[in-house]
Parts: sequence; C-alpha cells; structure tokens
Amino acid sequence: MLHLPRWQTIAIIVFTALAGLFALPNILPESIDDLLPKWYAQNRINLGLDLRGGAHFLLEADLRGVLNERMTNVADSVRGELRKKQVGFKELTVEPNGHVTVELRDEGQRATAIEAIRAVDPSLVTEGAGPKIDISFSPQELTRKRKEVIDQSIEILRRRVDETGTIEPTIVREGDDRILLQVPGIKDTTDLKRKINQTAKLTFHLVNEDLAASSGGGLPSVLPPTTALVPTREGMQALKAANPKAFDEIQSANPRLSPEQICRRYHPLCLPIFKRVIVGGEDLDDAKATFESQQQGGRPIISFTFNAAGGRSFCAATRHNIGKRLAIQLDNEIISAPVVQSAICGGSGIITGAFTPQQTQEQALLLRSGALPATLTIIEERTVGADLGADAIHAGTVAAVVGTGLVMFFMFGTYGPLFGGFANLAMGVNLLLVLAGMSVLGASLTLPGIAGLVLTVGMSVDSNVLIYERVREEKANGRSALGALTAGYERALAAVIDSNLTALIAGVLLFGFGSGPIRGFATSLSLGLLTHLFTATIFTRMLLATWMRWRRPKELTL
Amino acid sequence: MLWKPHHIVPAHTKIDFMGHRLWALGLSTLINVLSLVGVFVFGLNFGIDFEGGIAIQVRAKQGTIQLDELRHTTGALGIGEVSLQEFGDKSSALIRVQRQEGNAACVAHADAVMKRRVGNGWSVKPGAEGTGDVVFTAPGQLDAAGWRDAVSRVGLTVLERELPRANTNTAKIDMTPEQRAEWCQQVAIKVVDDAISDKYDIRGTESVGPKVGSELMHTGIIAVLATLAAIAIYMWFRFEWQFGVGALISMLHDVISTIGIFVLFRIDFSLTALAAVLTIAGYSINDTVVVFDRVRENMRRYKKLGLVDVLNLSINETLSRTVMTSITVFVAVLALVIFGGPVLYSFSIAMLWGVIVGTYSSIWIACAGLVYLKLRPEQFRHEDEGAKAKA
Repeated sequence: MLHLPRWQTIAIIVFTALAGLFALPNILPESIDDLLPKWYAQNRINLGLDLRGGAHFLLEADLRGVLNERMTNVADSVRGELRKKQVGFKELTVEPNGHVTVELRDEGQRATAIEAIRAVDPSLVTEGAGPKIDISFSPQELTRKRKEVIDQSIEILRRRVDETGTIEPTIVREGDDRILLQVPGIKDTTDLKRKINQTAKLTFHLVNEDLAASSGGGLPSVLPPTTALVPTREGMQALKAANPKAFDEIQSANPRLSPEQICRRYHPLCLPIFKRVIVGGEDLDDAKATFESQQQGGRPIISFTFNAAGGRSFCAATRHNIGKRLAIQLDNEIISAPVVQSAICGGSGIITGAFTPQQTQEQALLLRSGALPATLTIIEERTVGADLGADAIHAGTVAAVVGTGLVMFFMFGTYGPLFGGFANLAMGVNLLLVLAGMSVLGASLTLPGIAGLVLTVGMSVDSNVLIYERVREEKANGRSALGALTAGYERALAAVIDSNLTALIAGVLLFGFGSGPIRGFATSLSLGLLTHLFTATIFTRMLLATWMRWRRPKELTL
Repeated sequence: MLWKPHHIVPAHTKIDFMGHRLWALGLSTLINVLSLVGVFVFGLNFGIDFEGGIAIQVRAKQGTIQLDELRHTTGALGIGEVSLQEFGDKSSALIRVQRQEGNAACVAHADAVMKRRVGNGWSVKPGAEGTGDVVFTAPGQLDAAGWRDAVSRVGLTVLERELPRANTNTAKIDMTPEQRAEWCQQVAIKVVDDAISDKYDIRGTESVGPKVGSELMHTGIIAVLATLAAIAIYMWFRFEWQFGVGALISMLHDVISTIGIFVLFRIDFSLTALAAVLTIAGYSINDTVVVFDRVRENMRRYKKLGLVDVLNLSINETLSRTVMTSITVFVAVLALVIFGGPVLYSFSIAMLWGVIVGTYSSIWIACAGLVYLKLRPEQFRHEDEGAKAKA
C-alpha cells in the first residue's frame, strides 16, 4: 500500500514542481518582471474588484421598451402595406404587450391582408379570426431579438469603456436581460455612467478618390478643407499587431489624438474622405449578416435598412457616385469602404466585399452599434476605492499568515517535527496548488476568497490528522511501524474522501448560486478541497513512503 | 517541548457521550426553537444585499469619526432610515440607508441635487400620476448631448433617442415606476455625498435596487436548501438512509442555531453571512462523516454490541481527531476574526460559532439521531456478506 513505483514518485514531484512554477509569479516582487518572459510574469492571480478597487455594475436592459418601439415601426409599415394593397381597416393599434391588432372592414380581404403583413417582415405571426388580426413576433424571433439586443449592448459597452482608457473591463451577459460590467481601478463612476448611454458616431462618407489616387496609397501632404484623413479599422488592427506600443500610446494619449494626427504620427492605413455626411447612424434602422442568392454567387453580405429620410439621402448619394467607394465611419475609424455597385434606393441596401460569414456578423454588429438598442438601468452598483482595497489585501494577508502560522504550530506540537513537518509541507503544497490553479484558471481572488484560503488551511490538515490518529490507534494495537502506517492510510481513506466530497458539494453549490465575491470564496474553497484530495492521499503518501524506505524505522515517533 | 509529539486527548477515553443525549437534545431543541422564535419575533438584520438599499463606507478627513454628529446630519436628509456603525477603526464608519422607493420625495431630492451641482434655474418635477416619468427643466435651451450630460449629473442614464432632439428647455424622461425606484438609489447616494463630503472621504459605495435584493434572497434560500438536500442525498448513497437523515438533522440544527446567533447579536445578514451558513453546513458534515464512518466500521466489527455502545465507542475513538481538527480550524478562523478586517467580520464570527456547533452536533445530534432512527446492526448484514463474497 505504501510502496509507490518510481515513475509515480517522479510524476508527483514533477507535478508539484510545475504547480510551484505556476504559482511563483504571485509571490515574486513586481520589480523583477522585466527579467522574466512576459507570458510568465503575467501569470498572476486576478485580484477581485473588492481587493484592487473599482466599480461593479449590474445593468438591466429594458427589453419591453425595445419591443414596443419595434412594434410601433411594424404598425407603421403594416399601415402602409395595407393602404398600398387597398385593404380597408377600421383600427390598427399597438398593444402594450408587444402585439399589434388590426380590424379589417371586409373579412374577405383577410388573405390579402395577411400577405401584406408577411411582406413587412416574414417573421411576423398572425392569429385571430374574422375581421380581427393579431400580429406578433414568433417566440423564436423574440428570443433571437433579445439575444441580439444584449450582444449589441455588450459590444457597445465594450467600445465605450475602452474609450475611457481603463484596463481589462469585464462585460458579460447575466441571465436573460442583464449585463455585468466590472471596471477595475475607477473610483468616480459619474463619468463612466455618462459614457454608458452615449451614442457612438456612425456616418457614411464618400472617399476622395482623386486624392487617394494621386497620393498612391501614401499620405497626402496637404488636405483640402473638405477632406479628412481617417485610419481604417484594418489599418489600426495591423498597427496593433505590428507595433503594440504605438497602439498603447494612441489609446492612452491625453488629450485624445485626432484621426489625422494618428495617421501622420503612426502611419496606419488611412483613407481621405469627404467630411460631408451622407447619412448618419441615427437614420439606420437595422443591419444584419446574410448571404447573396445562389444565382449571385451566395457570398456572405451585410444587408441594412434606413428610415425614410436616410433612405432618400442614401439613394441620391449612391446614384451619383457609382464606382466610387463609400466609407462607413464609426467613432474615428473607417470600418469598411465598399465600392458602390448601383444606386441603392428603397431604404435598404447591401454591402459586399471579400467577407467571411464571421466578418459579416461582426460588421453588421458594428453597424448596428451606433446607439444602444435598449435603455440600461443600473440595478446594482458596488464601488470600492483603491485604498480600501489595499486595506482589505493587508488585512487578508495578515489573517492568512497568522492563521497558517497557528495551524503549523499546532501540527508541530501534536505530531512532532517529523510527522507534523510532513503535514505542514503538504499544507504548503496545497496552498501552492490552489494559487497555481487560480492563476491557470484565471479565477479572481476576492476578500472572501482569502477567507476561503484560510479556511482551507484549517481544514486541509484534517486529512493528515485523520490518518495520523488512525496510525496512532494501529500502533497502540501493537502493529509494526510499517503495518501501522499502511493500515492507517487504508482505513482513513474512506473518511478522507467522504468528508472532502461532502464539503466540496457545499462549495460547488455555493459557486453555482453565489455571485461576485462569494463566488470567489466558493472558488478558492472548492479548489482547495480538490487539491487537498491530492496532497492528503497522494503527496503525503509519497513523502512517507520515501521516508520509510530511507530510514526503515522500527518505531514511529507519532 | 514543541519537538515531541503530544496527545491532546488521551489515547483511550471512555466518555459516555450518549448517556447525556437527552440533555443535549433538550438543549439543542431549546436553542433551535428560540432561534426560530427570534427570527419571527425580532427578524433578521438583513444587509442591503437582501433588503436592497445603500451602504457607504466613509472615513473622516481629520481625526476620529463623530458618530452622533454624522447620525444627526444624515438622519435629517429625509432619505428614510439611516443607520451608522463604526467600521474597522475609529475614523471609519459604515452608513446604511434604507432602500429608496422612487416616490415624490426622491424627485424632490433630485431637484435639490441638480440645483446644487449644476446650478440654480434647474428643476426636476415628477411627471403624470401613475407613471415614473420625470420632467427636467433647464434655465436655457439644450440639445440632445447637453440634455444627456445634464441628466447624468443626477445619475440618470437614458438613450439619446429618448431625449429631445431639437433645442428646448424641458425634457420629459419616460420611466416606469420600477425604473424610477432603481434610479432613486443613485439620487440618495448623491444626497449623502453632498451632505458629508466636506468632512468625510467616501471609500466605497454599494447600492442594491429593490429588484436584485429580492432575487438574491430567493436564490439564497434555494442555495441553502439545495446544499442540504445534495449533501443528505450523498450520505444516503454512501451510507444507510438513517445516516443521511441524521446528517440532515444535524446540518439543519447548525444552520438554524447559526441564524439564531445572527438574531441574538444583530449581526448583518448579508451574502457573506449566507456563505458562512453554507460553509458551516459543509464543515459540520465534514465532521459528522468522520464519526459516521467509524460507526459504520464498528457496527460491522462488533456485531454483539448495542447501538449506544457502538456510538460511544466510535465517538471516543475519533475524539482526538475531532478535537485536533476543531482546534486547527478554530485558530485559522480566529485569525480571520481578529485580523480579517470589518468586511469579513460577520462571516468569521459566524464561522467561529459554526466550528463549535458543528463539532457538537456531529456528536450529540447526528449520532444521537441514529439512536432514535432505530439503526440496527442487522441492517449491515447484507452488505457484509457482499463484502465477503467479493473477498
């Protein structure tokens, strides 16, 4: 039982050493970061917001509002379609529950009316009997729309928060209609809140083709007053890849650099565009990724729709500029500049290009991301000042060090330098494994998380205690040193596993139901229990087996 | 001295634990009943996580905090119930403000904040009765961007398309009463900030709106019940059903009496406290499993011995481990209580109690429970034969 094959011993040692290597950057002072490879030095545990300071928001999207707005548009379009097909109706109302009802004058026209409604949007569902028609979106369409609204909001939030220059914001969906936004390092949230619901600027401009041609891809030295120089998205991404430092400088420049300054200083790919705005993003109704028909080649394309005013200006502009490029500018970047193939009238159009389906998805999202699709209400807010976080780190560290010291003291006192030492070494390795695990998983350490670590320390010697007490009993029953150790391990194993697994159940459920810092507690506690199963049953066994083989003691000093 | 092993508990104790089980059961029942009565009569001191509301941590810019003066200042703000407590050291305090309901008073506060922060000439008035609408009036004409900036000064974020596009000097913001209630938390934070910022630094704020509060409460209750159920089911699969029930009762006992501690000392019952309760359940079961494991083993070994004797024997045999582990966990948690800081205080206090009660309950509740659940050695025979057949 105690005997371990050599390869297992080596495997255990290698595993432990690797874990130590992973945990090491957490302990090293930051001053030696420059000497280490970057990927390794960055392998640190994320500190939760409660420790490093920052703001945590839970935002709720007003999906009812979105639906109502959408249905009002549907009602308008349906009214127009019905008039066009000369279907008479008495009443057409938008219900507060996201339905539109229409009452026809002539029941016989029902089929025509339904056809007209389907022409507005094929995903509309019609119900009811007689002269009344109830119009709503299918449940699938509603789910799709809801997901789209949240995805779009997340994308916009990311752009807005990035703009404030903060590092590593967390923006994730929570449940059906919520978004969790965590911004480390900020104390005054007024500015951030103001940014959240700001509209991104989306505009369509013509490319100054003469200037582009004459400068031959390079930067024109003199710009006419009607023209502006704007970097393209591709160009910025290429710059980011080739010269991350320059990209950082652009991000952190204060005051912010104008597009032209960026072009002149860093030379990303830029385009000269006319300043005159053809259509603004406020006139864009929708944009989605789709495919051309098979006859046309089946390529992925982006289709978009304008409102009436936008449609008219767009139609006029495209009619006079066939063969020229139309730049789509979003917040000081040209996201794409497709060539106008034909006049685009009728309020909708498509953008073709050498897109992959995924790119069209992204572009459509960016096009839509002019404005937030829904009002976001802050329903939970937690802000922690950086100095408060530093206090918490200090308190947590002191508690952890004192707690660990006390536990080690008791283990030494009860089981002596040898066995107490083994248990304490196992506890140390256990802590190392938890730190390594958290670094690798990218889990955040919170203040309750530190409490979880301290608790792990207290509980992690339990398995050793179980085993040692059992060994003592076996020894008292007159067994030999080897016999007592072997029997002790074997008999204690069931209790060790059962007691850890039950505690683990509590930890995992706590993780499932908890949020924020509590989740941090559950993470470190559960991880601690898991790694503890390794240290208690395998690691200490290896220590003892090696020691037994080396010293071959007749008597155990336990 | 340190360098020689010590036996904290003598090797062969023969304490008659089960002999005192009636006393213990009586005491536990009393404590549990009192805890439940306490919850219903006095109620738990819910933190803002569950109740909704605002918590602001402040530190005096100079000297120690004057709680009386601060209480007087914040109490007179008209934002409902405000409670204060020292938090950590003498110069820090925690200000708790009750959940804001989004009534007319909140709009009046927004009006005052607007006048103070943006300038005279501004006014904020409630909109039509029955809606949550709010009407802003500016001293001059503003465009959409100006409006957005203005309303954000009172913590309101709205979509540009909901703001007037043309230049005007009034803007009606459409809100449901629920949305206004959520927004009013922001207003109250600004009211407190304005009132105390000349003497105090705000170190951290938390606000939980009415909606999230009730949801957290709901998921919290589910979390506790699910945890208890999952552990009991695990025990039932690994042991006989009586052990599962015994473990469940002892966990319930620990959870209820811990809640009693929260009632008795008026400790904040927050999300962290809930985490403590769940951890206690986990620790308690950890302890119980070890004793149960030995009970099962001894029942197989000593078939002739009565249940009470087997229980006594098993508890005594595992006693030194029980004491030792309780000590290590206790000192670790004690370090948290003393050094962990005010944020972890309620959590650590609860845990400290949990260590004691968890150890107690695994002996006197879980094991004594087995006696009344009529666990009989015969029930092990079947499994025993199975084991023999395998061998």
